[in-house]
Amino acid sequence: MAAVQDSAVAVGAGARGRPAGQGRFAAIWTRHGAGYMFLLPWLVGFFGLTLGPAVASLYLSFTSFDLIRSPEWVGTANYVRIATADPKFAASLKVTFLYVVLSVPFKLAFALLVAILLDRGVKGLTVYRAIFYLPSLLGGSVAIAVLWRQLFAGDGLINSLLAQFGIEGPSWISHPDYSIWTLVVLSVWQFGSPMIIFLAGLRQIPTDMYEAASLDGASKFRQFYKITLPLLTPVIFFNAVVQTIEAFKAFTPAFIISGGTGGPINSTLFYTLYLYQEAFGNFRMGYASALAWILVLIIGLFTAFSFLTSRYWVHYDD
Amino acid sequence: MTMRMTRRSVLAGGAALLSYSMLASSALSQEARLRMLWWGSQARADRTNKVNQLFQEQNSGVAINGEFLGWSDYWPRLATQVAGRNAPDIIQMDYRYIVEYARRGALAPLNDYLGSVLKVEDFDKVQIEGGSVDGKLYGISLGANSAAMMVNTVAFEEAGIDLPTPATTWDDLARIGAEITKAGKRKGFYGIADGSGVEPLLENWLRQRGKALFTADGKIAYDANDAADWFAMWAAMREAKACVPPDIQALDQYTPETSPLSLGKAAASYAHSNQFVTYQGINKDKLALSNFPLIGNDAKGGHYRKPSMFFSVSAQTKDPELGAKYVNFFVTDPKAAEILGVERGVPESAGVREKLAPTLDELGRAMLDYVSGLGALAGDLPPPPPSGAGEAEFALRTVAEQVGFGQLDVKQGGETLVNEVTQILSRG
Repeated sequence: MAAVQDSAVAVGAGARGRPAGQGRFAAIWTRHGAGYMFLLPWLVGFFGLTLGPAVASLYLSFTSFDLIRSPEWVGTANYVRIATADPKFAASLKVTFLYVVLSVPFKLAFALLVAILLDRGVKGLTVYRAIFYLPSLLGGSVAIAVLWRQLFAGDGLINSLLAQFGIEGPSWISHPDYSIWTLVVLSVWQFGSPMIIFLAGLRQIPTDMYEAASLDGASKFRQFYKITLPLLTPVIFFNAVVQTIEAFKAFTPAFIISGGTGGPINSTLFYTLYLYQEAFGNFRMGYASALAWILVLIIGLFTAFSFLTSRYWVHYDD
Repeated sequence: MTMRMTRRSVLAGGAALLSYSMLASSALSQEARLRMLWWGSQARADRTNKVNQLFQEQNSGVAINGEFLGWSDYWPRLATQVAGRNAPDIIQMDYRYIVEYARRGALAPLNDYLGSVLKVEDFDKVQIEGGSVDGKLYGISLGANSAAMMVNTVAFEEAGIDLPTPATTWDDLARIGAEITKAGKRKGFYGIADGSGVEPLLENWLRQRGKALFTADGKIAYDANDAADWFAMWAAMREAKACVPPDIQALDQYTPETSPLSLGKAAASYAHSNQFVTYQGINKDKLALSNFPLIGNDAKGGHYRKPSMFFSVSAQTKDPELGAKYVNFFVTDPKAAEILGVERGVPESAGVREKLAPTLDELGRAMLDYVSGLGALAGDLPPPPPSGAGEAEFALRTVAEQVGFGQLDVKQGGETLVNEVTQILSRG
């Protein structure tokens, strides 16, 4: 957008001295009309499908709306109920935080590990990259969630494998103590996109640094700790922020694995799943909109916090 | 997404599209077009589409576009369409939601068409009233069903145990369940499904105690003691291994495919009689229908004949009379009845039932016999569930799991359930 605005200003400057209004607009249109036409699909999408609904949901969050009758203004009642009288809000927030705290670090660590292994000049790197990226492409899909459900069911593949070692596994997906872990494992398994970004970051680190370090007798571990990790902090930061936001928004796996219930005993009741239940299960669109805006606020706070603390641990090489 | 696409349907669709475009002029000159939406399986869709074809043949100038989804996708879709002023003309409606939709003005009252377009004089009076809200008729029942146990006859035989009878009590069932588990004829197999979170089962049990789920004015109609007794009964069955353990029961999403019976974990599970065809379709062993157990030898049954589902006409439709005409055709035409069978429940029209009986297959026959043979086990139809009933059902399930997994004892479970349901209903 910035570029478009700059060039529009440039046109204004170039057309100085001419009467403003119709002529000026026509001049802009002649020079940039095609550009705006190309932008049109994005503009329509942005205003019609993103900004418009967002504004509408902000309005709806102050109403009681059952989808059938017209929305009825209730002021801050929805937000008051969220804050004071909704145990399921607290429960879903707890599950979601647990999921974020567990899945993001594990996923990033695993992605970094695989990226380092791939960075060591493996033959056919592109093939491996593609293969390791595949789960990330498939991961959000319903089919994979269904597959996961079957893998972790009481008589699924995981327990068959455990049985080989004489261990009798529980029914992972339907026991409240374990169900969240199956979702964490599913999330870690989709490490592809942070891995690709780590790989790109690793490639940016000059090899002469490592050569100098090994001449000085630094161990591999020390090299990783003193060179790789500090130089990679901007990439780690980026991945952490993006993956945290993704984790907050997770929906499909929990929806499929619990059959939309968030059970057993709310153990997989992700925030987004609760929001969906309120909106489409209990027809409380206004309340669900308020929940959505609380989520926006939470993600915003987390991201702002990450940026504020980043100056203490992210090193930019400039 | 739940529309099933096969190569054949794509080809058929392509062919239909082609013929449609060739006949574009005549298609556009159709006088009326009815859109309809229902939930259900492919088998139901096949039957429904055939009836629609028949209706179109008899009413030239009318085109019917039908669409179907699974139960859980159905309600969000319907609500969004109604909100978007794009509601289908004919809506399949459930007893649970008819009050909400009718009171919110989404459905057209059908009283004006009674006797003229709608000829439902030989319907069971109670079932007609079941489709009425605040004195107006908003839904025509497509058939009666009742809650029922689905029983795996082969598993019972293997364990050397007789099938449950109308006189079977809960004590009997607890004993039978434990014996089947103990017989150990199948791996990881138990007597019965854990029904502590199954609302129709709780309702049946409450009705036998002279209580109910909800009062007519939409409040909770049982107390913490009732709920604690209920949870205690199931805790004892869990203890005796009469029913499946909680982590197996938690796999049950209350669909035929995920019930412990169909998963091969238990010899009996709980459903509605009109689901019998679907259950038998996905179970290899021969199944039987049985009523829910009695709380004592001299107890009256807690069953009732319930409208399995309704057809309602949208308040947004351009031609409510045509809608009513279609619904009338669906429930009274003998040819339509023959196509539909008892898949949506036992037809309400006495005349249709009579003509239908000899044409039914074994499964249909069993359903008809079950619903019409309930006798003294069936009582009055309870009032339609209030707003929030869906949420209350959900609460029962969650609390039952909390008790099952030992997070709450039975007394706490009873109190928690009653508190939560009371709160949910007060929110409406």
